[in-house]
Amino acid sequence: MSKCRSCRAPAVIDLPRHNANFCAEHLEQLCRRQFRRAVDDFEMFTTEDRILVAVSGGKDSLALWDLLVTEGYDAVGLYIGLGIGRYSDESHVIVDAFARDRDLELITVDLRADHGFDVPTAARVTDRVPCSSCGLSKRHIFDTAAREGGFDVVVTGHNLDDEAAVLFGNALRWDVEYLRRQAPVLPARHGFPRKAKPLVRLTEREMAAWCVIRGIDYVVEECPMAIGNRHHMYKEALAVVEATSPGSTAAFYLGFLERMAPLIAHDEDTDAPAPCRMCGSPSGAADAVCAFCRLADRAGAVQPVPVELVLGRGARRRYVEQWGASALMEGDGHGGS
Amino acid sequence: MRGGRVAHRVLEDLGLAPAGHLIIRNGTLVPSDTMLDDDDVIEIRPVVSGG
Ligand code: SF4
Ligand SMILES: [Zn+2]
Ligand SMILES: [Zn+2]
Repeated sequence: MSKCRSCRAPAVIDLPRHNANFCAEHLEQLCRRQFRRAVDDFEMFTTEDRILVAVSGGKDSLALWDLLVTEGYDAVGLYIGLGIGRYSDESHVIVDAFARDRDLELITVDLRADHGFDVPTAARVTDRVPCSSCGLSKRHIFDTAAREGGFDVVVTGHNLDDEAAVLFGNALRWDVEYLRRQAPVLPARHGFPRKAKPLVRLTEREMAAWCVIRGIDYVVEECPMAIGNRHHMYKEALAVVEATSPGSTAAFYLGFLERMAPLIAHDEDTDAPAPCRMCGSPSGAADAVCAFCRLADRAGAVQPVPVELVLGRGARRRYVEQWGASALMEGDGHGGS
Repeated sequence: MRGGRVAHRVLEDLGLAPAGHLIIRNGTLVPSDTMLDDDDVIEIRPVVSGG
């Protein structure tokens, strides 16, 4: 039976990157320390700031909200209903319960109810991967909610493994513009709020364990759209390296921030974008309509597309295994594109 | 499971990466060198998330 590195009590988890085991109390201490270090080192926010935390119902964002409030920050949740079948229904229930149990304020925006479309339908009309319309919609809604609610900063639950996977993808293409913007904190500019990722020093394994020991109920199943996507492939590739050389993922990402990011940084001095003619958010050319309003316009004009129809064969099988077939799909042999 | 087995072996036999999963035995998180018994209720929970 392995023992905690700090107190020699029975351990609850082994963390190969620290070459050590930890009890629940000391795992919690480690996570809090890494969280505070990220917040302070990158000057993300202070207890004076009003924080809007984007919550999906997954482990990272709920762990982040828990960390923020228990560390004394003023953090309101923002949940976005993406219309991704039963995955979204379940996420909404989980986030609502989390907020209610802890007496926290939660803002909810529903793409279908509030903007007339959902992610599967947007994916179908744009004929692109669902994550691209989804990402565009989430960014727009974060920015708008922050501006309207007078928040100082929007925070998201991206963890070390997420950021390392994105870095790996950007480096494979040497996409210097994306590499430059891959910072754990982006300052507010031109009507866009400050953005921060306080979990960049914590891994998926640590965040999942955090939720178990803190008794946080979260949606364990992934978004069905994520199955088999590129982000996943990069994570798997890094996991292979990490398995033989623990700590490589952290060294890759944190080393990038420390030694590479300063070399490619430069001051962007662009003009303020003109407001969108439809919604007033910063958009681009004068008298233009922003990308979100254009998407809402196109996707809102067609019949809703059920999630199963935009999943690939493997992802659809997994979705049905996890969530059951919806009434629409039962007895429907052809199964769309 | 017969006569007790180490958790990470069980994962490996199932083709699962130990670092990518949590082991929850009878409702409690345990490290991957834990001996699991026949009558334990085990949840193997993946830690990966996407999006
Ligand atoms: S995996 Fe893609 S579709 Fe699913 S929530 Fe993330 S960005 Fe949206
Ligand atoms: Zn301890
Ligand atoms: Zn607009």
